[in-house]
Amino acid sequence: MRPLSVIAGLFLALMTPFGMAAAAAAASAEPATAPSSPVLVAPGLVEVTFDQSRVDTILGDRFTLRSRIGNTGAAPTDRLIAHLNVASLTSDVYVDPEDWSSSRSDDVATLDPGRSTSVSWDIQAVNAGSFDVYVVLLPNGASSAGTGPLVVSPPVHVSVAGRQTLTAGGALPVVIVIPVLIGLAAATAWYRRRAA
Amino acid sequence: MTATVVGQLRTDHSGVRPVGADGPGWRVVAEQECRDLWVGGRGPLLLFAFSVLLSGVTYLGATNQVLNFLEQREAVNLTLQIAVAVGVLVTLVVSADAVSGERERGTLESLLLTPVSRRGIVMGKLVAALSLWFAAFLVSVPYVWVLGRGVSIVAQALLLGLLVGTLLAVALAALGLLISAVSNSNKVSVSVSLFLLLALFAPTQLPTGLPQGWFGDVLGRLNPVGAAMHYNTAVLVNGHGWTQDLSYLVSPLLTAVLAGGILVAATPRIVRLNGGVSER
Repeated sequence: MRPLSVIAGLFLALMTPFGMAAAAAAASAEPATAPSSPVLVAPGLVEVTFDQSRVDTILGDRFTLRSRIGNTGAAPTDRLIAHLNVASLTSDVYVDPEDWSSSRSDDVATLDPGRSTSVSWDIQAVNAGSFDVYVVLLPNGASSAGTGPLVVSPPVHVSVAGRQTLTAGGALPVVIVIPVLIGLAAATAWYRRRAA
Repeated sequence: MTATVVGQLRTDHSGVRPVGADGPGWRVVAEQECRDLWVGGRGPLLLFAFSVLLSGVTYLGATNQVLNFLEQREAVNLTLQIAVAVGVLVTLVVSADAVSGERERGTLESLLLTPVSRRGIVMGKLVAALSLWFAAFLVSVPYVWVLGRGVSIVAQALLLGLLVGTLLAVALAALGLLISAVSNSNKVSVSVSLFLLLALFAPTQLPTGLPQGWFGDVLGRLNPVGAAMHYNTAVLVNGHGWTQDLSYLVSPLLTAVLAGGILVAATPRIVRLNGGVSER
């Protein structure tokens, strides 16, 4: 296992500069793609909002946010992807959004004018601090995928208080006393059996 | 234990009430098996090892910063899962030794000569094996309490562990007795039982949360151990209602009913002086 991972690491380290150089060359060779014309998802035509604007919680707790996606325009929307993101408002806290929610993207079907749909996000607060949670809508139709502008929800401000859930001091008596008691009982049974 | 059982049964037989029926017969076998297990020292020794393991897990859970980073429910769930898994393991080991062990020690013949039916003998041994599970569960209570206090899940976790663990213990103890009855040797019986348990537990160690196809979902639901653990996690960690994931308990329930049913039906034919599935 270890030699394999070392070889894989060496291979990646050797190949990465080539990959980066190739990507840079490709980027410089291709003309810059301007945003294409169909604006099937645009601020003003589609909007996404949350059911609350602020959450105060404790480290480790779970909460659910519901977002409502509505078509406020006059034409049906294209297929969309709703994507959840978490950003720390303090520089000393690193956020890995995957830890906050295991399912951060959801497909949204075409919405007729005036219609709306809701998407729920199960979130676990895994860092203490101040955060903003928001949803961004990305076009995902055959022609609209990869185009913009994107639609972003107002942020939900999440304030997470830290806590030490478990303490060694509290567990120590149980951790020591239970095996000692059972060990004594087992030793007594063994001694009595031998004495009989 | 056989000599004592024979003595007891003969005394009872000469008394007012015959012992040939399954009722009193299985009770006498169960009492004697429990005495053999607990006074003989095997039960306390297994329980001691069980408590040392749970102590290690609980201490690591209480001091590990990574677990502290997570919710308290997850620490409780981890300890409960280990308690159920190891409690069921020791139950399986004891039941896997029940018939093949007697056969190998040469005490099965005298046990079969007692006026207890073969079903009574097997039921008595099943009850004795289950006593180990209940004892293991009792030992796990303070560990769950120490990890879960402060959040209102201790009672829920203990009730869940008792119900789901008992279901699994009955299912696997019945399977262990079946394997023990048909095995040629005690070594084969214990090895096959342990392999079965490992095979059932292995899928529970796969990464969770990853998308899986319908086949993976079906396999997960068919595995009684995996399905039971999934149910525990859904209720304890994810906060689902008790009835929301009830379908996951179908597989453990079916295993208990099927293994128990086959054990009751086949006992007269498979509990013999010679092991193996074919007549010699």
